[in-house]
Amino acid sequence: MTENEQAVRTFSLPSVAGNERLAAKKIEELLRPLGLSLRLLERIKTAVAETAMNAIEHGNRYHEDLPVTIETEITPGSLYIRIADYGGQKDTPMAEEPDIDAKLAGIQSPRGWGLFLIHRMADDVRFTTDKERHTVELTFFLVREGDSDFSI
Amino acid sequence: MISQFEADVDFQGRCAVVHLSGEIDSNAEDSLVDALGKAIESNPDRFLLDFRQVQYINSKGIALIVGLLARYPEIRGRIAAYGLTEHYQEIFKITRLMDYIFVLRDWEAALDFINH
Repeated sequence: MTENEQAVRTFSLPSVAGNERLAAKKIEELLRPLGLSLRLLERIKTAVAETAMNAIEHGNRYHEDLPVTIETEITPGSLYIRIADYGGQKDTPMAEEPDIDAKLAGIQSPRGWGLFLIHRMADDVRFTTDKERHTVELTFFLVREGDSDFSI
Repeated sequence: MISQFEADVDFQGRCAVVHLSGEIDSNAEDSLVDALGKAIESNPDRFLLDFRQVQYINSKGIALIVGLLARYPEIRGRIAAYGLTEHYQEIFKITRLMDYIFVLRDWEAALDFINH
Protein backbone atom coordinates (compact mmCIF):
# COMPACT_ATOMS: atom_id res chain seq x y z
CA MET A 1 0.00 0.00 0.00
CA THR A 2 1.45 3.39 -0.93
CA GLU A 3 1.10 6.44 1.28
CA ASN A 4 -2.05 7.77 -0.38
CA GLU A 5 -3.84 4.48 -0.82
CA GLN A 6 -6.55 3.14 1.44
CA ALA A 7 -7.65 -0.45 1.75
CA VAL A 8 -11.19 -1.36 2.76
CA ARG A 9 -12.22 -4.94 3.42
CA THR A 10 -15.49 -6.32 4.74
CA PHE A 11 -16.55 -9.67 6.13
CA SER A 12 -19.45 -10.93 8.17
CA LEU A 13 -20.14 -13.63 10.76
CA PRO A 14 -23.30 -15.34 11.98
CA SER A 15 -24.43 -14.31 15.45
CA VAL A 16 -23.30 -17.43 17.25
CA ALA A 17 -21.84 -17.38 20.77
CA GLY A 18 -18.08 -17.58 20.59
CA ASN A 19 -17.78 -16.16 17.07
CA GLU A 20 -16.09 -13.08 18.52
CA ARG A 21 -12.90 -15.17 18.62
CA LEU A 22 -13.32 -15.90 14.93
CA ALA A 23 -13.68 -12.15 14.32
CA ALA A 24 -10.42 -11.49 16.16
CA LYS A 25 -8.66 -14.26 14.24
CA LYS A 26 -9.81 -12.91 10.88
CA ILE A 27 -8.70 -9.41 11.83
CA GLU A 28 -5.29 -10.79 12.80
CA GLU A 29 -4.97 -12.46 9.39
CA LEU A 30 -6.02 -9.26 7.59
CA LEU A 31 -3.51 -7.14 9.50
CA ARG A 32 -0.57 -9.55 9.33
CA PRO A 33 0.98 -7.84 6.26
CA LEU A 34 1.17 -4.54 8.15
CA GLY A 35 3.82 -5.84 10.57
CA LEU A 36 2.20 -4.27 13.62
CA SER A 37 3.77 -4.69 17.03
CA LEU A 38 2.47 -7.66 19.03
CA ARG A 39 1.29 -5.25 21.70
CA LEU A 40 -0.87 -3.23 19.31
CA LEU A 41 -2.15 -6.34 17.56
CA GLU A 42 -3.29 -7.84 20.88
CA ARG A 43 -5.08 -4.61 21.80
CA ILE A 44 -6.86 -4.60 18.44
CA LYS A 45 -7.89 -8.25 18.83
CA THR A 46 -9.29 -7.69 22.31
CA ALA A 47 -11.27 -4.60 21.24
CA VAL A 48 -12.64 -6.41 18.18
CA ALA A 49 -13.58 -9.53 20.14
CA GLU A 50 -15.36 -7.54 22.87
CA THR A 51 -17.23 -5.38 20.33
CA ALA A 52 -18.21 -8.39 18.25
CA MET A 53 -19.39 -10.20 21.39
CA ASN A 54 -21.65 -7.25 22.26
CA ALA A 55 -22.98 -7.20 18.69
CA ILE A 56 -23.76 -10.93 18.76
CA GLU A 57 -25.28 -10.88 22.25
CA HIS A 58 -26.98 -7.50 22.64
CA GLY A 59 -27.37 -6.29 19.04
CA ASN A 60 -28.45 -9.44 17.24
CA ARG A 61 -29.51 -11.40 20.34
CA TYR A 62 -27.88 -14.57 19.03
CA HIS A 63 -30.12 -14.73 15.94
CA GLU A 64 -27.84 -16.74 13.66
CA ASP A 65 -29.49 -15.37 10.53
CA LEU A 66 -28.54 -11.81 11.51
CA PRO A 67 -24.90 -11.26 10.58
CA VAL A 68 -22.38 -9.11 12.34
CA THR A 69 -20.56 -7.12 9.66
CA ILE A 70 -16.97 -6.07 10.16
CA GLU A 71 -15.32 -3.49 7.89
CA THR A 72 -11.67 -2.57 8.13
CA GLU A 73 -10.27 0.57 6.57
CA ILE A 74 -6.52 0.98 6.61
CA THR A 75 -5.01 4.39 5.95
CA PRO A 76 -1.30 5.25 6.20
CA GLY A 77 -1.67 6.45 9.81
CA SER A 78 -4.76 4.80 11.19
CA LEU A 79 -6.85 1.67 11.21
CA TYR A 80 -10.62 1.96 11.41
CA ILE A 81 -12.72 -1.09 12.25
CA ARG A 82 -16.50 -0.77 12.02
CA ILE A 83 -18.58 -3.51 13.60
CA ALA A 84 -22.30 -3.40 12.79
CA ASP A 85 -25.29 -5.34 14.08
CA TYR A 86 -29.07 -5.06 13.73
CA GLY A 87 -29.69 -3.38 17.07
CA GLY A 88 -30.13 0.09 15.58
CA GLN A 89 -33.48 0.72 17.18
CA LYS A 90 -31.90 0.80 20.62
CA ASP A 91 -29.71 3.51 22.11
CA THR A 92 -26.22 2.55 23.19
CA PRO A 93 -26.49 1.95 26.95
CA MET A 94 -24.38 4.13 29.21
CA ALA A 95 -22.16 1.67 31.01
CA GLU A 96 -21.23 2.23 34.63
CA GLU A 97 -17.47 2.64 35.03
CA PRO A 98 -16.32 -0.63 36.57
CA ASP A 99 -14.71 -0.28 39.98
CA ILE A 100 -13.14 -3.46 41.32
CA ASP A 101 -13.40 -2.27 44.93
CA ALA A 102 -17.14 -1.74 44.51
CA LYS A 103 -17.46 -5.12 42.81
CA LEU A 104 -15.66 -6.91 45.63
CA ALA A 105 -17.82 -5.07 48.16
CA GLY A 106 -20.96 -6.27 46.37
CA ILE A 107 -21.95 -2.73 45.35
CA GLN A 108 -21.42 -3.45 41.63
CA SER A 109 -21.94 -6.67 39.70
CA PRO A 110 -18.70 -8.55 38.92
CA ARG A 111 -19.62 -8.10 35.23
CA GLY A 112 -19.49 -4.97 33.09
CA TRP A 113 -15.90 -4.99 31.79
CA GLY A 114 -16.59 -5.21 28.04
CA LEU A 115 -17.09 -1.55 27.11
CA PHE A 116 -14.34 -0.56 29.55
CA LEU A 117 -11.86 -2.82 27.76
CA ILE A 118 -12.97 -1.58 24.33
CA HIS A 119 -12.37 2.05 25.36
CA ARG A 120 -9.00 1.22 26.93
CA MET A 121 -7.74 -0.83 23.97
CA ALA A 122 -8.76 1.52 21.13
CA ASP A 123 -7.54 5.08 20.54
CA ASP A 124 -11.08 6.24 19.76
CA VAL A 125 -14.52 4.62 19.92
CA ARG A 126 -17.65 6.01 18.24
CA PHE A 127 -21.20 4.70 18.17
CA THR A 128 -23.75 5.39 15.45
CA THR A 129 -27.27 4.08 14.98
CA ASP A 130 -29.98 4.34 12.38
CA LYS A 131 -33.39 2.68 12.46
CA GLU A 132 -31.85 -0.67 11.61
CA ARG A 133 -28.11 -0.89 12.28
CA HIS A 134 -25.91 -0.12 15.25
CA THR A 135 -22.27 0.47 14.38
CA VAL A 136 -19.21 0.80 16.58
CA GLU A 137 -16.19 2.40 14.95
CA LEU A 138 -12.85 1.58 16.57
CA THR A 139 -9.83 3.71 15.66
CA PHE A 140 -6.23 2.63 16.21
CA PHE A 141 -3.16 4.70 15.43
CA LEU A 142 -0.82 2.42 13.54
CA VAL A 143 2.66 1.72 14.79
CA ARG A 144 4.97 -0.61 12.93
CA GLU A 145 7.39 -3.12 14.45
CA GLY A 146 10.47 -1.30 15.70
CA ASP A 147 8.76 2.03 16.33
CA SER A 148 9.84 3.21 19.74
CA ASP A 149 7.70 6.29 20.33
CA PHE A 150 4.59 4.43 21.36
CA SER A 151 3.48 4.11 24.92
CA ILE A 152 0.18 3.60 26.70
CA MET B 1 -17.70 -22.11 18.63
CA ILE B 2 -17.50 -23.58 22.15
CA SER B 3 -14.45 -22.69 24.19
CA GLN B 4 -12.44 -25.28 26.09
CA PHE B 5 -11.12 -24.77 29.58
CA GLU B 6 -9.59 -27.00 32.24
CA ALA B 7 -8.34 -26.33 35.76
CA ASP B 8 -6.34 -28.76 37.91
CA VAL B 9 -4.86 -28.31 41.37
CA ASP B 10 -1.69 -29.63 42.88
CA PHE B 11 0.03 -28.70 46.10
CA GLN B 12 3.63 -27.65 46.47
CA GLY B 13 4.35 -27.33 50.18
CA ARG B 14 1.83 -24.88 51.62
CA CYS B 15 0.96 -23.45 48.20
CA ALA B 16 -1.97 -24.63 46.05
CA VAL B 17 -1.05 -24.35 42.39
CA VAL B 18 -4.08 -24.09 40.10
CA HIS B 19 -3.06 -24.98 36.54
CA LEU B 20 -5.36 -23.30 34.00
CA SER B 21 -5.54 -24.18 30.32
CA GLY B 22 -7.66 -23.03 27.40
CA GLU B 23 -9.94 -20.01 27.24
CA ILE B 24 -11.29 -18.13 30.25
CA ASP B 25 -14.78 -16.93 29.48
CA SER B 26 -18.19 -17.62 31.01
CA ASN B 27 -17.87 -21.33 30.11
CA ALA B 28 -14.89 -21.63 32.45
CA GLU B 29 -16.92 -20.88 35.57
CA ASP B 30 -17.75 -24.39 36.79
CA SER B 31 -14.22 -25.75 36.34
CA LEU B 32 -12.58 -22.73 37.91
CA VAL B 33 -14.94 -22.60 40.89
CA ASP B 34 -14.48 -26.36 41.45
CA ALA B 35 -10.69 -26.14 41.27
CA LEU B 36 -10.39 -23.13 43.54
CA GLY B 37 -12.93 -24.56 45.97
CA LYS B 38 -10.92 -27.77 46.14
CA ALA B 39 -7.75 -25.77 46.79
CA ILE B 40 -9.40 -23.72 49.55
CA GLU B 41 -10.70 -26.87 51.29
CA SER B 42 -7.09 -27.92 51.86
CA ASN B 43 -6.41 -24.65 53.66
CA PRO B 44 -3.08 -23.75 52.03
CA ASP B 45 -1.16 -20.60 52.94
CA ARG B 46 -1.00 -19.35 49.34
CA PHE B 47 -2.61 -19.85 45.93
CA LEU B 48 -0.80 -19.65 42.60
CA LEU B 49 -2.80 -19.41 39.37
CA ASP B 50 -0.72 -20.78 36.51
CA PHE B 51 -1.80 -19.06 33.27
CA ARG B 52 0.93 -20.44 31.02
CA GLN B 53 -1.53 -22.54 29.00
CA VAL B 54 -4.25 -19.88 28.78
CA GLN B 55 -4.67 -18.46 25.29
CA TYR B 56 -7.61 -16.12 25.75
CA ILE B 57 -9.36 -14.19 28.51
CA ASN B 58 -12.36 -12.02 27.70
CA SER B 59 -14.44 -9.58 29.75
CA LYS B 60 -16.60 -12.42 31.05
CA GLY B 61 -13.45 -14.20 32.17
CA ILE B 62 -12.34 -11.05 33.99
CA ALA B 63 -15.78 -10.94 35.63
CA LEU B 64 -15.38 -14.58 36.61
CA ILE B 65 -12.05 -13.90 38.32
CA VAL B 66 -13.50 -10.84 40.09
CA GLY B 67 -16.45 -12.98 41.16
CA LEU B 68 -14.09 -15.54 42.68
CA LEU B 69 -12.30 -12.82 44.65
CA ALA B 70 -15.71 -11.62 45.88
CA ARG B 71 -16.86 -15.15 46.75
CA TYR B 72 -13.65 -16.13 48.54
CA PRO B 73 -12.38 -12.99 50.30
CA GLU B 74 -9.95 -15.11 52.32
CA ILE B 75 -7.73 -15.59 49.24
CA ARG B 76 -7.14 -11.87 48.66
CA GLY B 77 -3.54 -10.95 49.37
CA ARG B 78 -2.55 -14.64 49.29
CA ILE B 79 -3.04 -15.28 45.58
CA ALA B 80 -0.68 -14.74 42.66
CA ALA B 81 -0.74 -15.22 38.89
CA TYR B 82 2.12 -16.62 36.86
CA GLY B 83 2.46 -17.03 33.09
CA LEU B 84 0.23 -14.18 31.95
CA THR B 85 1.26 -12.75 28.59
CA GLU B 86 2.27 -9.09 28.54
CA HIS B 87 -1.13 -8.24 27.06
CA TYR B 88 -3.03 -9.89 29.88
CA GLN B 89 -0.65 -8.39 32.44
CA GLU B 90 -1.73 -5.03 31.01
CA ILE B 91 -5.39 -6.02 31.35
CA PHE B 92 -4.83 -7.09 34.97
CA LYS B 93 -3.28 -3.66 35.52
CA ILE B 94 -6.01 -1.53 33.94
CA THR B 95 -8.82 -3.51 35.57
CA ARG B 96 -6.91 -3.27 38.89
CA LEU B 97 -7.05 -7.03 39.36
CA MET B 98 -3.36 -6.53 40.07
CA ASP B 99 -4.33 -4.82 43.34
CA TYR B 100 -5.68 -8.13 44.59
CA ILE B 101 -3.65 -10.74 42.69
CA PHE B 102 0.15 -10.50 42.66
CA VAL B 103 1.37 -10.76 39.08
CA LEU B 104 4.63 -12.70 38.91
CA ARG B 105 6.69 -12.07 35.81
CA ASP B 106 9.01 -15.09 35.79
CA TRP B 107 9.41 -18.60 37.18
CA GLU B 108 11.96 -17.45 39.74
CA ALA B 109 9.36 -15.12 41.24
CA ALA B 110 6.80 -17.94 41.14
CA LEU B 111 9.21 -20.24 43.02
CA ASP B 112 9.82 -17.55 45.62
CA PHE B 113 6.05 -17.22 46.06
CA ILE B 114 5.55 -20.99 46.34
CA ASN B 115 8.37 -21.40 48.85
CA HIS B 116 7.80 -18.19 50.80
